[in-house]
Amino acid sequence: MTVTVAAPGGTAAQALALEAVGVCKRYGDRDALSDVDLVVRPGVLHGLLGPNGAGKTTLMRVLLGLVRRDAGSVRLLGRDLDAAAGGRVPHGVAGFVETPAFYPYLSGRRNLALLARLDDGPRSDRNGKVKRALEQVGLGDQADVAVAGYSAGMRQRLGLAAALLRAPRLLFLDEPTGSLDPAGARDIRALSRRMADEGAAVVLSSHDMSEVEELCAVITVINRGRVICSGTVGALRTLTSAAVHAMHTSDDRAALTVASGRPGVKVKAARDGDGGLEVSADVNALDAYVIALGCAGVAVRVLERRARSLESLFLELTGHAEAIGAALPVSRDARERTCASAVAL
Amino acid sequence: MSVRGVLAVVGVECSKLSAQLKARIVLAACAAGPFAFAAAMRVQSSVPSDTLFGRAVNDSGFAVPLVVLGFAALWAFPVLTSVVGGDLFSSEDRYGTWSTVLTRSRSRAEVFAGKVLTALGFSSLAVTALAVSSVAAGVFVVGQQPLINLSGVLISPATALIHVTLAWACVLPPAFGFTALAVLLSVATRSSVAGVGLPVVAGLTMELYAMVDGPEAVRRVFITSAFGTWHGLLTEPRYYRPLIHGTTVSAAYFVVCLAIAYRVLQRRDIGA
Repeated sequence: MTVTVAAPGGTAAQALALEAVGVCKRYGDRDALSDVDLVVRPGVLHGLLGPNGAGKTTLMRVLLGLVRRDAGSVRLLGRDLDAAAGGRVPHGVAGFVETPAFYPYLSGRRNLALLARLDDGPRSDRNGKVKRALEQVGLGDQADVAVAGYSAGMRQRLGLAAALLRAPRLLFLDEPTGSLDPAGARDIRALSRRMADEGAAVVLSSHDMSEVEELCAVITVINRGRVICSGTVGALRTLTSAAVHAMHTSDDRAALTVASGRPGVKVKAARDGDGGLEVSADVNALDAYVIALGCAGVAVRVLERRARSLESLFLELTGHAEAIGAALPVSRDARERTCASAVAL
Repeated sequence: MSVRGVLAVVGVECSKLSAQLKARIVLAACAAGPFAFAAAMRVQSSVPSDTLFGRAVNDSGFAVPLVVLGFAALWAFPVLTSVVGGDLFSSEDRYGTWSTVLTRSRSRAEVFAGKVLTALGFSSLAVTALAVSSVAAGVFVVGQQPLINLSGVLISPATALIHVTLAWACVLPPAFGFTALAVLLSVATRSSVAGVGLPVVAGLTMELYAMVDGPEAVRRVFITSAFGTWHGLLTEPRYYRPLIHGTTVSAAYFVVCLAIAYRVLQRRDIGA
């Protein structure tokens, strides 16, 4: 099934940078990916989130043609990625999966020169492109050192430089800052953001929740090979089963007692160390709880809605996916709605 | 698959090979080995009389390349032809660079074809270097005397040179067959040790089998038998049946091994 979203200047399918529909991948008796849909629009930083083994890297490998999918379709920059035809990555698509690897006996510059030779494009500009890419990632001074002498962070930078050589309009980055020092990570984030600002679609897989929250406009959460949800951070927050409020009372212990056994209300001591309570409840249950506190002689001094961090949201989505499954858009129709909201950004 | 794409891969592989000490050492050994052999034959009193043309090694410079050819068939050709072919694919596994290579603009078919052409090119270069060096060593160290062929007929230096050249050309088909076998093992096992080592072991095993009294039908499908088919070119009259059979067997090894290797690479999930 094809996701179609109205877009100015043509059909949505033409405008999308990435459109994966119903992608499945099975290893033996294990489903690595199960009916995965992913839609990414140009100019958007799209985060892929999920716990270890969730299928993020497998999905990126499938999208880059490195792993053959068992079912589903993938369109990159409007072109079908057909594994049967060799899985050639279309021009304008680049990226790396896990730690980028290079020939250790060659210098960084020589490695990039060889990779540029494997790309389409005029021969005359190769050296210039290599030089510019190396400078963009801050490896200009180390360009002629053999890669065997590079640190993990330098290899990560070189991987990004190799991707930049292809002038990507669709860029896949798998844990791009994982091996970098804080300054290096900041540079790579800035570069990713700049590329998105210039119109490239960037798919970023990361375990760093704050990084994803800071960078990405749209997020897809994957767990056990399935897309749990996809959309903007704000939209995803609305998918949680109940809002969370910070509450301070005249007697927190009594407030906990009042909450025990009350349907639709979960109360626990706040984790931020400032004391108080953290209350998970929808509006009606919260109203009833506050009234009950008053009846019990417990004064509510502070009650404020807390903005949920992506991390807590992520833990809730992946840790209790089954429990909240009914509230999440796991059906194809619902996924298409969230995809539509994502691509409408 | 485009010719331009395949040539791009060949260029990249050649650049990588030129930066590797291994390739230089092999080619240097091919160039220097025959001179060392010819010089050793000159200074020592005995000759390798149990080898074809071994008795004539100090009488005609054209006997030297034929003796080297006979020795090389035993173990050198399997090594020379698998040292690159058996490592070109598995080295990408060793360095973890498959993802890097296959996310460029070249298809797997182009990468496969480019790597195979490079392996075949290196095998040709190594065999040619050994042949040219053997002839040069014979001519410079021993001289350009006429050669007595396997039928006892004296042949002129010019004719001998042509026969020696044809004899060396006869080993190219089995050399390519061994290269294809090395490519298959490199792709299938993802191990350079297996890719380079197993063809050598297989070659030695076949040679050993040829020395024992086993069924002829088995011996005839061994690719190593093709390394000796040049004998028919140095007799009067010449006979070509072994050459045709050896070339056919070599072609079968070549086609089957490369077809399987291609299928394995095409179906492989990289990094899974």
